[in-house]
Amino acid sequence: MIALDVAGLRGGYGRTEVLHGVDLRVPAGKAVALLGSNGAGKTTLLRTIAGLNPTRSGTIRLNGESIGHRPAHARARAGICLIPEGRGIFRRLSVQENLAMHGGRRDIAEVIDRVASLFPILEERLGQQAGTLSGGQQQMLALARALVKDPTVVLADELSVGLAPVVVDEILEALNVLRAEGRSLLIVEQYVERAVAMADYVYILNKGAVVFVGEPRQCASGAVFERYLGGAA
Amino acid sequence: MSEYLPFIIIGLATGSVYAIAAMGLTVTYTTSGVFNFAHGAVGMIATFIFYSLRVDAGLPTALAMAIAVLGVGPAVGVVIDRVLLRRLDGATAATYVVVSLGLLVALQGLAIWIYGPATRSLAPIFPHSTFRLPGVNVGWDQVILVAIAAGAGLGLALFFRYSRLGIQTRAVVDDPGLTELEGLDSGLITTFSWMLGCSFAALAGVLLAPLLGVDAVLLTLLAIQVFGAAVIGRLTSLPLTYFGAMLIGLGQALATKLVTGHQALNGLPTSLPFIILFAVLVLSPKGFFQEVVRTKAAAVRTGRRALGRVFPWPVLVSLVAVAVVLPARLSGARLLTATSTLGFVLVFASLSLLIGLSRQVSLCHAVFVVFGATTLAHLRNMGVPYLPALLLAALVMVPVGALVAIPAIRLSGLFLALATFGFGILAQNLLFLTKFAFGAGSVVRIPRPTVFGVDLGGDKSFYYFVLICVVLGVIAVEAVRVTRLGRVLRALADSPTATESLGINPTAARVIVFCVGAFLAAIAGGLLGTLTQVVNTTTFDFFQSLVWVTVLVTTGAATIGGSVLASLLLVTAPTIFTSKTFVELQPVFFGVAAILLAQARNGLVGLVPRPDFSALADQSAWRGGSRRLAERSVPETTVPSTGVPSMGVRA
Repeated sequence: MIALDVAGLRGGYGRTEVLHGVDLRVPAGKAVALLGSNGAGKTTLLRTIAGLNPTRSGTIRLNGESIGHRPAHARARAGICLIPEGRGIFRRLSVQENLAMHGGRRDIAEVIDRVASLFPILEERLGQQAGTLSGGQQQMLALARALVKDPTVVLADELSVGLAPVVVDEILEALNVLRAEGRSLLIVEQYVERAVAMADYVYILNKGAVVFVGEPRQCASGAVFERYLGGAA
Repeated sequence: MSEYLPFIIIGLATGSVYAIAAMGLTVTYTTSGVFNFAHGAVGMIATFIFYSLRVDAGLPTALAMAIAVLGVGPAVGVVIDRVLLRRLDGATAATYVVVSLGLLVALQGLAIWIYGPATRSLAPIFPHSTFRLPGVNVGWDQVILVAIAAGAGLGLALFFRYSRLGIQTRAVVDDPGLTELEGLDSGLITTFSWMLGCSFAALAGVLLAPLLGVDAVLLTLLAIQVFGAAVIGRLTSLPLTYFGAMLIGLGQALATKLVTGHQALNGLPTSLPFIILFAVLVLSPKGFFQEVVRTKAAAVRTGRRALGRVFPWPVLVSLVAVAVVLPARLSGARLLTATSTLGFVLVFASLSLLIGLSRQVSLCHAVFVVFGATTLAHLRNMGVPYLPALLLAALVMVPVGALVAIPAIRLSGLFLALATFGFGILAQNLLFLTKFAFGAGSVVRIPRPTVFGVDLGGDKSFYYFVLICVVLGVIAVEAVRVTRLGRVLRALADSPTATESLGINPTAARVIVFCVGAFLAAIAGGLLGTLTQVVNTTTFDFFQSLVWVTVLVTTGAATIGGSVLASLLLVTAPTIFTSKTFVELQPVFFGVAAILLAQARNGLVGLVPRPDFSALADQSAWRGGSRRLAERSVPETTVPSTGVPSMGVRA
């Protein structure tokens, strides 16, 4: 079953078209790595799927239901969860307030227990202003917020940027936990090899169009990258 | 000490009302990023409706108050957010300033049209009885005001700290895009904050009305006084805003006591909020005030030619030709109107340097005009010949322009508008009655002169004299536009950082444009003063500055055509269409038009299609080029046979 089905997606900024008809599918419970050089349109694609950038044409379906015409918040409610580039947290709110934004659906204590099992450090800092956490902790919080929302598809945009390698391990491990729970992942990652290692499928985007779709084993030799990314990996 | 106690009590009570309004203003600013200059006007409208319900319809006070505060206030908030602001996503700070100014001018005009300019008195809302504290009598109404404000402040604090909607509102303040990703409708939350903020404005207006009377101008302006309090709170902190409002209330009351017997300082108590406003804005360290940017990605507009790059000889020559033959067909009052229209062309042209060229909203232009006239009068009284006196009066305004430019160097769009707004009111309240301006008599006289042996006492000869001066002034303005200074200012308006990175000093350009603007406005003021021969304190009050901005934005601030049209609409139109309704609704028209045209390229003038074939040729080449580029940049998709989307991913 396909969780996220993007077909013929065109979008961009103002008059400038960045995505020239992108087709992409994320099967339920699978992880897809989205690769491409700088400016290929990866972030634009994720933001367009999440509804932060306008869609010019094409369709976006979540579990078969068309969501491309809905505003960002409605897509989020439908089950799309974008963890944006940078730190996807409310910096001036406390850690607990960041997590409690969606209380009500679940008991907040339960949410905190769950977050604590993945990222114990966050439990110690519930009252702290989120903007004062370290970079790694902020990214953990961004991931924890994604967990709390119970999403169908998680779009993770460069989660490891600016983080120490040991923290990156922890963050990527958390993504694996999400997948183990049956959620679908669409991952944009600077550490290409690690992204490929944890993915079920690999898409390569170049100049706003998909130029390669395949499985991780096809990427093992590096020839694919050589061909489509000019040896960028 | 005991003689100060009653003033402290009064200060706490008025400070409380300011606090209510200021907290409302801060709530809307932080969540929407739009500073509502019309915040006072919103309170004013709600207060008039409260008056109608309570006095005209005879509703019980509590019910009338509930409708005004919980019905009218929030309803106006919804209209402002959904109708006026939502369509402006991606606009610049200056655009938002213009839109809320337009709203202020329109609402005030509407209230005066419906209810008339007279102040209506309103019976007290709360019990007027007093009780005795050591050394002072305290009114129960004062206690109630303080309690309401404290309750409102506490309520807001608890709401933002503990309620889910409050936390979500803070989330929107922090990052609206991320809030959307949370599955929350940030637009809905912003609308809610406008409802909340406007109901606070309504509450403040209703509470003030029995103390001041129901008066369109007074209520609008008094609620504007909360700007000082909001600035103390850096427009973001509710507790500091509350503290600031109390400080201003107390300061005003104590100043009233202190200046008793000093006539020259009579304006001090009412000016205090603006002294604070101006001082805080100007003296704060650079970067202290950060604008809340709450706009979505700006719409990218490409393929447009910049306006005002070429000296508009054809337009100028045609306009002058019409102006030269006009007196042959006009006489009496019509000729005076024509001369006044000419004078205002220079006022608007000088203002267009700031608004149209460097995109800096200056709200104190009337100050330069007034001081141009009064300084000319003083110099003439000292026996200085007319022309040198006119030039000297304008030169005196140059350092004043430089003074006003200080906030322009340090502050961006909104805060510059606020600082100039404060400066305008300060100048009016503190300086108008001094010997530097009108003096205690509130009036100056400027007899028509004889220049180079030509007696300008006649209306026709004076018309031509004004025409020559205005043409010279307009040539100066257009020269600024097409020279390096104009290019630098245009670049600064576009991207200060990029301009500085080219090694250009932005300070000099900004100071010079303010100085040139002040100089020309003062010349215009001198000419207009000489035309009427009598200028008093109400001829060009500070509110004119706001109206002029809305008029110029309506007609077009980027070219000379806009300045001419602005002058025709403001000065000439009311003498042709003399019906009371037209004259009274004129500000409403300008306010609404400014709101509608705030984002237009060049106001009404910009809507007129101009056959410019070279531009068309440029654009078609550009478009063709971009299409070719787009075609080239779409890559050929080479999908390997094993990896077509339908095969590789279908599970």
